Amino acid sequence: MGHEYVPEIATDRDGNQHEVQGWQGDFYGGKLGFWLFMLTEVMMFGAMFLALAYYNSLHGQDFIDASATLNRWLGGFNTVILLISALTMGLGLLKMRAGDVKGAKLMIWATIILAAIFLGVKAVEWTMEYNHGIFLMHDKLLPESSLPFGQKLFFGLYFSMTGLHGFHIIIGIGIMLWLLKRINAGKVTPEHHILHWNIALYWDIVHLIWVFVFPYFYMIGAGGATGGH
Amino acid sequence: MSKNYFDETHCAIGHPKSTFMQWMLTIDHKRIGIMYAAVMFTFFFVAVFVALAMRLELFAPGAQYMDGDTFNQAFTLHGVIMIFLFIIPGIPAIFGNIVMPLMIGAKDVSFPRLNWFTFWLYIAGCIIALASLFIGEGVADTGWTFYAPYSMQTGTNVIMALVAAFVLGFASILTGLNFLVTIHRLRAPGMTFFKMPLFVWGIYATAWIQLLATPVVGITLVLAILEKYFGIGIFDPAKGGDPVLFQHLFWIYSHPAVYLMILPAFGIMSEIIPTFSRKEVFGYRTIALSSASIAGIGYLVWGHHLYTSGMSDIAKSVFSFLTFFVAIPTGVKFYDWVATMYQGKIVLKAPMMWALGTIITFAIGGITGVTITMIGADIHLQDTYYTVAHFHYAILAGVVWLLFAGMHYWFPLVTGRMYDDVKAKMAFYIQFIGFNLLWFPMFIAGYYGMPRRYFDYLPEFEVYHQIAFVGGVMTLVGMVYMFWIFYKGWTSGEKATPNPWGATTLEWHLPTSPPPLENHSKVPYVDFDPYEYHHGEPVVKFNYETMQRID
Amino acid sequence: MDTNTVNYQEEKKVYYKVLVGLLLLTAVTFVQPHMFLAESTFLAQMLIAVVKAYLILIYYMHLKGEKLIGAMVWFALALVTVFFVIVIGIDVSHFQFGAESHITAPAAN
Repeated sequence: MGHEYVPEIATDRDGNQHEVQGWQGDFYGGKLGFWLFMLTEVMMFGAMFLALAYYNSLHGQDFIDASATLNRWLGGFNTVILLISALTMGLGLLKMRAGDVKGAKLMIWATIILAAIFLGVKAVEWTMEYNHGIFLMHDKLLPESSLPFGQKLFFGLYFSMTGLHGFHIIIGIGIMLWLLKRINAGKVTPEHHILHWNIALYWDIVHLIWVFVFPYFYMIGAGGATGGH
Repeated sequence: MSKNYFDETHCAIGHPKSTFMQWMLTIDHKRIGIMYAAVMFTFFFVAVFVALAMRLELFAPGAQYMDGDTFNQAFTLHGVIMIFLFIIPGIPAIFGNIVMPLMIGAKDVSFPRLNWFTFWLYIAGCIIALASLFIGEGVADTGWTFYAPYSMQTGTNVIMALVAAFVLGFASILTGLNFLVTIHRLRAPGMTFFKMPLFVWGIYATAWIQLLATPVVGITLVLAILEKYFGIGIFDPAKGGDPVLFQHLFWIYSHPAVYLMILPAFGIMSEIIPTFSRKEVFGYRTIALSSASIAGIGYLVWGHHLYTSGMSDIAKSVFSFLTFFVAIPTGVKFYDWVATMYQGKIVLKAPMMWALGTIITFAIGGITGVTITMIGADIHLQDTYYTVAHFHYAILAGVVWLLFAGMHYWFPLVTGRMYDDVKAKMAFYIQFIGFNLLWFPMFIAGYYGMPRRYFDYLPEFEVYHQIAFVGGVMTLVGMVYMFWIFYKGWTSGEKATPNPWGATTLEWHLPTSPPPLENHSKVPYVDFDPYEYHHGEPVVKFNYETMQRID
Repeated sequence: MDTNTVNYQEEKKVYYKVLVGLLLLTAVTFVQPHMFLAESTFLAQMLIAVVKAYLILIYYMHLKGEKLIGAMVWFALALVTVFFVIVIGIDVSHFQFGAESHITAPAAN
């Protein structure tokens, strides 16, 4: 439908012609719409950060102690993986816009693989935590355990937020696979690539959220015993 | 005879031949708006009947035919349906869809297929909400506000209600997103923001709230589900969690939600008043900017729902101040509407009756809201019938009545026919009197201490409940009569011309009534203000085939 | 932003430069608790995150040069920040009932 669209012309009283913006083929509109959708994601994760900051302010030391038990190296490794995946996604879009469809598809595959690695490392992390008795509805996170309030809340929110983030990564992999299908079907092309653009934006927002999740959970417990606020 | 949008349509998938599938798959904003209306009013009447059942139970003290638990489920169901299934999709879903694109000269919204998907997402949410009636222990009994810790502990279907609310919230977000992009991108050439009709301003401000406030309740519901199922601890005091955090997170959305409800309604008022005063609206810019400022400031006042929850005095004072402040732009609108009517040629047709009635009742609703904004007064009135009367005056006799006003106003546009005006005014009077009988005694009962959501009460409150019941029955009669008048009008009313009210905005300048599928024959160039009247007559005239001005 | 005229080499360079910047900043997050601002690790980490976010938004997400979308992003961010400031800042710093509260009294921890 979007390819045969011919925009209408409106004529004013002086005879000047003005092109009418229709809903079809509106690249800027497609971008705008997706940015607005991403703002909703920011509000969602923002509210979770609100809850996190609230309990942090009540249990400053507990949060630092709990943070210190997380595996900073695995978290850091994942940060780098996601960072590189943001590059590959961006390069993929750039190649598509420049006409290199094959290169674009390769980059999308690279992103998918990096995303999968991220999820794998996350699974390893969660398994390690489970083995230390730290997991939802398990051992140390049960109401009767002696773990301090602040730590219980820290881990409750840790699993919720990294879980939701991971869920968004899974969705990201799904839509990247779908993007590849659409490219193969000729529906996404160098001339008509709003879908690719928006999916790249989606991947960037997933990365952006991790940029804040990682230091908040993993890094505040680094350094000395007081290493916090 | 030329075709209108009932004769042909565009579909999301394929080109179905059957009328049924054409309605199921249509991406036409006008049809989608009608479908929303049909589903929403069905649920509206379900919730009205639940309310009347409660009123019947409350007619006398003591248990008559409902026990306390069932009563709790009843007010929860009433609230969930009215809020999440009816009033939040509300005017944007119906008239935002049908009228807004017409008003800006567009052929549809920016993302018509998303619009179609959003409608069915809404239906999915409705089904989930309804399913909770028939599964397990039945509807949640927590109230539509789902406060922790009770919502975490009760065995009733809280999770289903939360999931339903999440899905419905997502539909609201997508509608807001669609409208925001539409208003930014698809306005006719020449139509700057300050040449848009005020209803579009209302929808625009609303869309921002739909977009940025709803996600907060979305995540709150997700967190509540995670708390109930996985014990993450954030609302559970046994793990150090704070149930009041739930209240904060919940109201961060739910207060802006009420502005989401009223701003489109005010938009409708701003359309009806100039048309039926045959005069340009007074203070166009201030009305437009007041919509924006209500949306903006409205994000910051949620704490007034939880004055009694243990907030610090400083926080209470901040919220109280901001709440007083947010009433000011609304006041500005009211003054502007009255000033518009001043020295106008008032036409007392049904839409205008509804608008005028709402000015009275919403003023009461708004002012009683200001009463409970006072922290000291709220200590006494919190969670009493005073609060309940306040929000029903504001929402029912504010938002819903303006929705009715819009239905009376745009009826000829949507259906191509006209209803019986005399009978419509009679239905208005019945509802006006019934509504006040139903709700005004509750201000008094609440002041004397009648608590809300209570299944039983002391004998001294009996008279208020009895008057309220009579009012409730009268209101229902009026509503049913009103829909009957609409039904008769649609099926056998007089055919209407494209502009029966002599209005100025673009939705009245279509070549046929009902409108054609592709709306205006050609998109006009807009070099005029939306409400130009001269001596009671519209200034701007069009040739409807070329959409060139001929005045 | 005209998407049909793509200066491939230019944009590729920008992507790689930003990548290096982000990797460097990630390294800084690891050394910061031991090197500087160690008493306010939280603040330092969040500041670094904000710089990273800025780079990502401006360059990877092409926000540079987007007027309308940029304004909307600022509005949404202001809203999120205000929620933090009002709820966390004002309310919690004036916590009136800390002594009676079950979840804040030090003995309960």
